Amino acid sequence: MPEWDDRDIIEGFRVQGREELAFNQLVAKYQERLYWHVRKIVIDHDDADDVLQNTMVKVWRSLADFRSESGLYTWLYRIATNEALSFLKQKKKKAFAPWVDVESQMSESLEADPWFNGDEIQLKLQQAILKLPEKQRIVFNMKYFDQLKYEDMSEILGTSVGALKASYHHAVKKIESMLDED
Amino acid sequence: MQKQPFLVPEGYFESFADRLHQRIQEEDSSRVPVRRIGTTTRWLAMAAAVLAAALITTSIIRLSSSKSEGFYPDMAILEQMQVLDDDRFLYELLEAETVEMDDEEAFASQAIEYLAINDVEMDLIFE
Repeated sequence: MPEWDDRDIIEGFRVQGREELAFNQLVAKYQERLYWHVRKIVIDHDDADDVLQNTMVKVWRSLADFRSESGLYTWLYRIATNEALSFLKQKKKKAFAPWVDVESQMSESLEADPWFNGDEIQLKLQQAILKLPEKQRIVFNMKYFDQLKYEDMSEILGTSVGALKASYHHAVKKIESMLDED
Repeated sequence: MQKQPFLVPEGYFESFADRLHQRIQEEDSSRVPVRRIGTTTRWLAMAAAVLAAALITTSIIRLSSSKSEGFYPDMAILEQMQVLDDDRFLYELLEAETVEMDDEEAFASQAIEYLAINDVEMDLIFE
């Protein structure tokens, strides 16, 4: 079955009796991209699965109200980013020892994570990324791994293209310096 | 897209949609049904909402005008009111970054933003 374009998905969702079909198309089309975006923020697979489910449930409940002026793709990314950040915030609140940094824990757990298959350089890169401030981390991942355009990132994160370029620039410099230290 | 250094369990994406539908069904069946309200009640509720919004706006205008000399409300407060609750984490993220930046970084950010606004090809500078 050919992949539906975004307009067909949105219009399909508004036709009574076709909501589920349209939603299935949306899930099939975007689940992997959103999963990888979320996974790089929360690192753990089970956490990424929870966040992706929360994201899709939210999409199912609000797609009928979606305003077509913004792209479906950027809207989905925005919801997924918010859900991932919300998840991390809750995780920090629930942390057994509040003085322990959740990002440091995620960084340490990477080494023993059976679902991480990067080589030593990739491990060091991920650990360096986890040391970045949250926004720079997200911007770096979106630009470097997902190769999103600054204009799309601007719509997703609600910040200017200039500020995003600045964040990416700082992130790259910090990562270079962290990798040089090792 | 760059190669991802992460793995997923076998069949994860193939089974995701089924698990998602199951969760939505479970949530829907445990939801309390919404009681339908009559037209009069609906109009009364809308009037109450409009009144409450007017009161809140007036309070904010008073509050902000008491802080500053002018009559105009603090735009930051009004903008914040318009932010969807769902986007609060993104806004917290943007605020947090400003706090985390040192003077040098903040200056560099402003400079880069200025160049970007003036259409200087940033990718050439970063290379």
